[in-house]
Amino acid sequence: MVPKDLRFTKTHEWAKVEETSNLVVVGISDFAAGQLGDIVYVELPEAGQTVALEDAFGVIESVKAAVELYSPVSGEVVEVNQAVADDLDLVSKDPYGGAWMIKVRADDSGALDGLMTAADYEAYVKSAECEQE
Amino acid sequence: MPAVGIFVCGRRRRSYNAVTSAERTLTGGRRAAILPCNRRITDRSMMEPRKTVLHDRHVALGARMVEFGGWRMPLQYPSGIVQEHLATRRSAGLFDVSHMGRFAFRGPGALGFLQHVLTNDAARLAVGEAQYTIAAHAEGGAVDDAYLYRFDAEEYLLVVNAANRRKDLDHFQAVLPDFAGVEPVQYGSVWTDRSDEQAMLSLQGPLSGQILAGLIDSGRLPEPPQRNRLSTATIRGRRVRVARTGYTGEPLCFELFAPAEEAAALWDLLVEAGVSPVGLGARDTLRLEANLPLYGHELGADPDGRDIPVLASPSAAGAVSLSPRKGDFIGRGALGRQHEAFKKIACGDFSSLDDLPRIVRPVAVTGKAIARAGDRVFGADGRHVGYVTSGTMVPYWKIEGESTDAGRNETGMRPIGLALLDGRLGEGDDLSIEVRGRRAGAVVVSRHLRSEGTRGTRPVGHGFCADEETPLSAGESPHTGPYWAR
Repeated sequence: MVPKDLRFTKTHEWAKVEETSNLVVVGISDFAAGQLGDIVYVELPEAGQTVALEDAFGVIESVKAAVELYSPVSGEVVEVNQAVADDLDLVSKDPYGGAWMIKVRADDSGALDGLMTAADYEAYVKSAECEQE
Repeated sequence: MPAVGIFVCGRRRRSYNAVTSAERTLTGGRRAAILPCNRRITDRSMMEPRKTVLHDRHVALGARMVEFGGWRMPLQYPSGIVQEHLATRRSAGLFDVSHMGRFAFRGPGALGFLQHVLTNDAARLAVGEAQYTIAAHAEGGAVDDAYLYRFDAEEYLLVVNAANRRKDLDHFQAVLPDFAGVEPVQYGSVWTDRSDEQAMLSLQGPLSGQILAGLIDSGRLPEPPQRNRLSTATIRGRRVRVARTGYTGEPLCFELFAPAEEAAALWDLLVEAGVSPVGLGARDTLRLEANLPLYGHELGADPDGRDIPVLASPSAAGAVSLSPRKGDFIGRGALGRQHEAFKKIACGDFSSLDDLPRIVRPVAVTGKAIARAGDRVFGADGRHVGYVTSGTMVPYWKIEGESTDAGRNETGMRPIGLALLDGRLGEGDDLSIEVRGRRAGAVVVSRHLRSEGTRGTRPVGHGFCADEETPLSAGESPHTGPYWAR
């Protein structure tokens, strides 16, 4: 099940606002992790870098392919989860928890409003649109 | 935008190995196959993918199905590419290769025609033998690479890449008018397309022999037990043709030919006997680790769209016969020049690089990156020296000591590749590979995998420099002698 408090992109990143810090936490969905298969490499940005909405902020590689990670928000990367790069199994084991990838100080407080809700995302991955995207 | 992300819907993949720009245009931006497929378009690619007779088995096993070469094929089963690769190396893996094209050649003109369109010496094949071979074009590039089997005296069976099936037939058809003495039988000539009536399974790995032997009622496994030998056996009442061939680098390897209607029962028997089903994903990592060329990557066109000379792939040397007995064939002149250039290159003489500017070399990535097909490669002096033709991260068993029986409990991962590199580069030369705009260190190695002395495989020495033989990869050497001396 997809946690209800997350928002999603069509490219399968999730995002949520961390209450304590007000930072946007970003990761990839369980579905994406499953589709990728054996993950062999994760490349993340450095803290302090800026990211732009829908621009690549990193790369995740499986045996067969490298895919880019697209930022669901514009802002400054404040924290990077090195644990993911060190323990790649985290991505499939705990995609919505321990496998968060970056925390971003978003430029816009309503940055996540344009993203899909958990329910919408669940419908999306089952839909033909996902296949067609 | 109609792009099916085979791995992840909606993700833009950065791998360059799936489709060419031409294919993207033709298919409306669709990134079709995750597996390296061919750079050339086949009419099949525009059609509904076909299903092998084992399709339902793959689905029932939970395979992730993808389109490859015009077929709906398992990319991986739930265990995943890494586990499938490791299972093949430690025990035995089972592959459905029914998607490959199978053509039977019969009749008095068959051998002569095969000698004309294929680069190896088909006349050397005794009944019960097989050989790696190539259909070359006159300029010395590959139309396709293939395997030729002679199970009985009357018939030659040619197995070709799935995506090239139609192209190969068209090529043979085009060549036919130049060839005297062929009585048209079917498809305008001496060949019959057996692809649909016959299924093909591949069983690879150290336990494959004992597993297969345990299922045989009568008949035998190929004797002598070496690569490229063939036999016929009855497996639980089903007549099966058995070949000691494969595409994994495993010294012990079999490919089984059975009537299509019996394939599912054969598959079930093998799965029940404990072999691991393996999809196209691990088929690719296994062959890459074994330094075996894949059409569309190491054969065919390079990333600039130029034809890769056949002999740029050292493993292809065993598929080319320049002996007088073989005589003339399509591409002989160009291949002869490539061969002369290769001999010189091996001895440090680079005066004929025009005939063979680049050679496919195994490369190990030393930096923190995974090289992918299409990535540019630079020499130690910063010069652009070629391209990665295949690259990924592959798993391996950590083996303690001398014996392959010991250990095999721990595993690791390593980024490796094959690269089409300036002929002046060789083993030990430092490289850097441009991966997403950054340079990662790499080095030319002699091979990625070594056959551990199992009978039946002998590395082919190129013999250009007597004291410096370079073995072919991992027991996949199709022949035991230098090809120019045959």
